[in-house]
Amino acid sequence: MLKKQRAFPAVFLVFSVLSAAAPEEWGRLAARKESLYNTIFVYQKDSVVTLRFGRRAAVPIQTQVDLNNLRQHQLEYTKLVYASLLYVPEPNSILVLGLGGGVIPRDFRFYFPQAQIDVVEIDEAIPPLAKEFFAFAEDDKMKVYVDDGRMFIKKQLRRSNPPQYDIIVLDAFNGDYIPFHLMTREFLEEVKGILSPKGVAAANVFYDNQLFDAEWVTFLEVFGRSDVFLGRTSGNAILISPGREVSVPAGPAFLERARTLQNKHRLAFSLPAVARCFRPDLRPDSKARVLTDDRAPVDSLRQRPRRD
Amino acid sequence: MEPNPNRTARQKTRTAAAVLVACLCGWFVMELEILGVRMLAPYFGSAVYVVTGSVIGTFLLSLSVGYLLGGRLSARKNSGILLGVLILLAGVWTAVLPFFTGPVCDQIFDWGLDEKWGSLLAALVLFAVPTTFLGTVSPMAVRWLTQRPEEAGVSAGLVMALSTIASFAGCVVTAFYLILYSMRLVLLISGLILALLGTAVLFTTLVRRKNDA
Repeated sequence: MLKKQRAFPAVFLVFSVLSAAAPEEWGRLAARKESLYNTIFVYQKDSVVTLRFGRRAAVPIQTQVDLNNLRQHQLEYTKLVYASLLYVPEPNSILVLGLGGGVIPRDFRFYFPQAQIDVVEIDEAIPPLAKEFFAFAEDDKMKVYVDDGRMFIKKQLRRSNPPQYDIIVLDAFNGDYIPFHLMTREFLEEVKGILSPKGVAAANVFYDNQLFDAEWVTFLEVFGRSDVFLGRTSGNAILISPGREVSVPAGPAFLERARTLQNKHRLAFSLPAVARCFRPDLRPDSKARVLTDDRAPVDSLRQRPRRD
Repeated sequence: MEPNPNRTARQKTRTAAAVLVACLCGWFVMELEILGVRMLAPYFGSAVYVVTGSVIGTFLLSLSVGYLLGGRLSARKNSGILLGVLILLAGVWTAVLPFFTGPVCDQIFDWGLDEKWGSLLAALVLFAVPTTFLGTVSPMAVRWLTQRPEEAGVSAGLVMALSTIASFAGCVVTAFYLILYSMRLVLLISGLILALLGTAVLFTTLVRRKNDA
């Protein structure tokens, strides 16, 4: 059972000092929860709800939702995930590692009501908060599993008939702590094992450090191809790694497909704008080394700025 | 009574050797513990259960068994030989550990054990033996340093303090620096160093025994 650590007055004091110092730009504190993995803060300002792990300004926002405008993506990366559609126009099954406020699965559910959507979240305190504050809801074909992402996938692989997902979204970051075991070659091989040959893996990564290059070369080694979609207003990028039977249109046909899909699904944001984030000109650092279970110095790579 | 200078010099060497062995073993215990967390993560995740429950728990339990065993063995005449063999075996185990981590963890995972009991069982299977063996070092080192009953406390304090400082150094160096390298390589080199240390203890004891005879 989770125990709330509220016994020490000193802890209270530290928190009150921090809260006095921190600019409350995300509004009032609507909920705070100590979980096994995080100190979770939910802020609300009018209709905009923000999820954060820890209060320090350096820790990135996990999720932000405008409850009056659910189709709008407050953070750029959740929009960039839709680059997957350029490779898999009609996904029937989607796996999302990392729930947060549930923006990615909730929005996929809206545009693809028939799709089977599985979500894996390690922190059992998160799903109730996503439902209470971020307009996330499970349904018959959308379920959240509380588990470590890698253990969930290993369990799927051991089934007699492992699932074959059309889109697998890897979004199991939490700002400060980087789960190295969800970035290695061995892990991506396991991901590949439950990915349809016509499907894609879409990984949310931070672009500005050497961990990005290491992740990129790891995806390239396992999938043979990994396309980067670089955020314009954030430090996020999405790496799209296609299964072996995915045919990717080149050049102008790419944008044409984006326009077609835009009209077909009546997306609330511009898919052509997402497609234009594709950067075929970029290459990973030639010195970057593949991450393995044996060697994955993720924290150290994360601290080093990217070489250009 | 005038102290015998030869005897004092020999005593100093003996003290230094015992402390050195205790320190090296203290270092490698913590190195193994920190790398152990990384070794289990691909199979059982890196939840707090795995880190604090299974890995740290296993090391504490194994050290207790090692202390008890080492205390018992220290009373025996052939304690030096036994200690050398135990350190040698701990070294060999450490060096080959990466090669059986996968099969062991896969098997335990296949039994359907979760991140709590599965990781605990895996930690016991993988780390209990070398940690127990390395745990025997401290009580034996205390025994070597103790000539008279009234020295026992001083010896115990010295060994515990210095080997724990070495453990601290092992923690910091492993977590900050060794983590940048291949785990297989780090464990292989560490295992070889331990195996050499064990062999050195073994031979020194055998040679001294021959000279004494």
